[in-house]
Amino acid sequence: MGKETTTLGTIHISPNALATIAYHATLTSYGVVDLAPKNLAEGIAATLTKEPAHGVAVHYSGEEIDIDVHIIIEYGTRITSVADSVANAVRFQVEKALGMPIHHVNVHVQGLHVSDSK
Amino acid sequence: MAPIDGQGLKKLVEAGLTWLRANQQMVNALNVFPVPDGDTGTNMVLTMQSAFNEIDNLGHRGIGQMAAAVSQGALMGARGNSGVILSQLWRGFARTLHDQELMDGPALVRALAEARDTAYKGVVRPVEGTILTVAKDVAAAAAQAVQVTEDICEILAQVVLEADASVQRTPDLLPVLKQAGVVDSGGKGLYFILEGMLRFIHGEPLDTPLATVQPLSAMNLENTMESIEPGQDYEVVVDFVPRETLDLQKFYSGLEKIGTSIQVGEGEGMYRMHIHVLTEKRYEPIDYVLSLGTITKIAMENLVAQMEAKGQKSSGVRLELAPVEPGKIAVVSVSPGVGISRVFASLGVAAIVQGGQTMNPSTKDILDAFENLPTDKIIILPNNKNIILAAEQARDVTVKKVHVVPSRSIPQGLAAMMHLNPDGDADAVAAKMAKAIEEVTTVEVTTATRTVDIDGVSVEQGQVIALVNGKLAVSAATVEEACLGALSQAHADEYELITFFHGEGLPIMETNRIVDVVRLKYPDQEIELQDGGQPHYQFIISIE
Repeated sequence: MGKETTTLGTIHISPNALATIAYHATLTSYGVVDLAPKNLAEGIAATLTKEPAHGVAVHYSGEEIDIDVHIIIEYGTRITSVADSVANAVRFQVEKALGMPIHHVNVHVQGLHVSDSK
Repeated sequence: MAPIDGQGLKKLVEAGLTWLRANQQMVNALNVFPVPDGDTGTNMVLTMQSAFNEIDNLGHRGIGQMAAAVSQGALMGARGNSGVILSQLWRGFARTLHDQELMDGPALVRALAEARDTAYKGVVRPVEGTILTVAKDVAAAAAQAVQVTEDICEILAQVVLEADASVQRTPDLLPVLKQAGVVDSGGKGLYFILEGMLRFIHGEPLDTPLATVQPLSAMNLENTMESIEPGQDYEVVVDFVPRETLDLQKFYSGLEKIGTSIQVGEGEGMYRMHIHVLTEKRYEPIDYVLSLGTITKIAMENLVAQMEAKGQKSSGVRLELAPVEPGKIAVVSVSPGVGISRVFASLGVAAIVQGGQTMNPSTKDILDAFENLPTDKIIILPNNKNIILAAEQARDVTVKKVHVVPSRSIPQGLAAMMHLNPDGDADAVAAKMAKAIEEVTTVEVTTATRTVDIDGVSVEQGQVIALVNGKLAVSAATVEEACLGALSQAHADEYELITFFHGEGLPIMETNRIVDVVRLKYPDQEIELQDGGQPHYQFIISIE
């Protein structure tokens, strides 16, 4: 998947391109204050480079596209609702741009952010 | 007006909830952002309901404690995007009132400002033109109003005014709203909550939605009800021309005394009124309308009798699924239509999962079917290539021994069923069934939903297309042409049996006519016609 065959040839869509869409959909989703690195290695890499879609992983397996997003949520919001909205927004935006169904959107809540002064 | 105490806030929350609920459908209809799923109004109502439940039984409390409880309730019940934002607004609102007994005008202004700040902290990239923008404008309007007056009621009036104006501006800020020709749904919901509070203070009614007229063409009077509520014995629809300009608010309140489910439509000076009433009141709406103008047409339907007839009809299509004995093999089949389900059942399928093209069943649907069968040897027929994976996932999750026979179409599934032997060895039976699906040719006839160029066939949107074994083979102007083209490509003349499953969209006359044409063209083959009842596909054809 991630590729479409036309009469002119084949269109490949890289996981990174999809990750960027998912990244923006996530960041504009209410309750999300940041995306989190998937692991330590990515955390270090993210401080060195400016990757456009850190915290998002896109996997192709055969016909399926799976997207994992790792997020940090604002403390005091209902976590399940926020995660739900993120999954919905990511699926909708990516499917709209891609025109193909996404198999799974997995949301990993990596942490909470407390922005209250009191 | 005097400062508000805890009980006062409780009444305001209830008023906001009631008014929002009365206009819930209108908010739902606006929902296009971020995901157009039409549930904003419902989500906000559920969130407000949860907030109100938290305080419903609280006795005397200061406003600080009461607001904290509202915030807690909203948090616990927050549903969807708009619900989460609403709960954040309440959280900020409650924070400044902490420990206080009463809320005066300036305190309301501070609370609205903190509500805005708290809500904006919950997102890195706030999208303007949403409920957030309305919350921001509302806080600003309150801050301006307090310069002039400290009266809480007058400030709230300014707030509601600005909320309305702000909602009207949302399409200028968010292009997707403008494209869809709507205002923001969450913002509109917030407006209704605030307006409900103000209406309560002014003593205006809250339980009736705004009296609205819709264009006649938009009135949906189809009988789509699944069940009828008490007091809805009769449906009365009256067309009339009013003698003078109709006072809608008065008209609605007059109708509300008679019945429920009121709708009013208008077109070219003529009005149409729709209402559900009790049997003994069935003539009252007619008399009432007669007092207002000239009636041109009346339609009255007995809903109770209709529902009874409907109940009998639906019980007539009960499926007779094969009984399952423990230890024997049971087959689960995915089916897109009633007729196809019946054919599968007659061949010995033990459970049906509804699904097919564009309506894939979830892994859980399939898993439930597995778990409900009283045997641990199961074979599943997905009957669609997009469902094979869900079937495999269900197989991996369940503890039962499941074989997926990867049938990619209905005819393949049916061919596989011919080789079912419930007493046999599951591995051997599954292997036999898998082999059988290779021996049948499938033709699917449907209407193209977009213009494409695939496999050397160019298709325009709206044309009829036929797929042979999942590959696009023919595009044609009519169903008949598509069928004949596909049959010849599939070399139907070299086979013995051609079975047509006709879909729900095709008229029966047309179906019979096409099948007769095929009969003439293929005199040596046996032609069968079955009612498949599947959506989207005019025909699914099996050639074997």
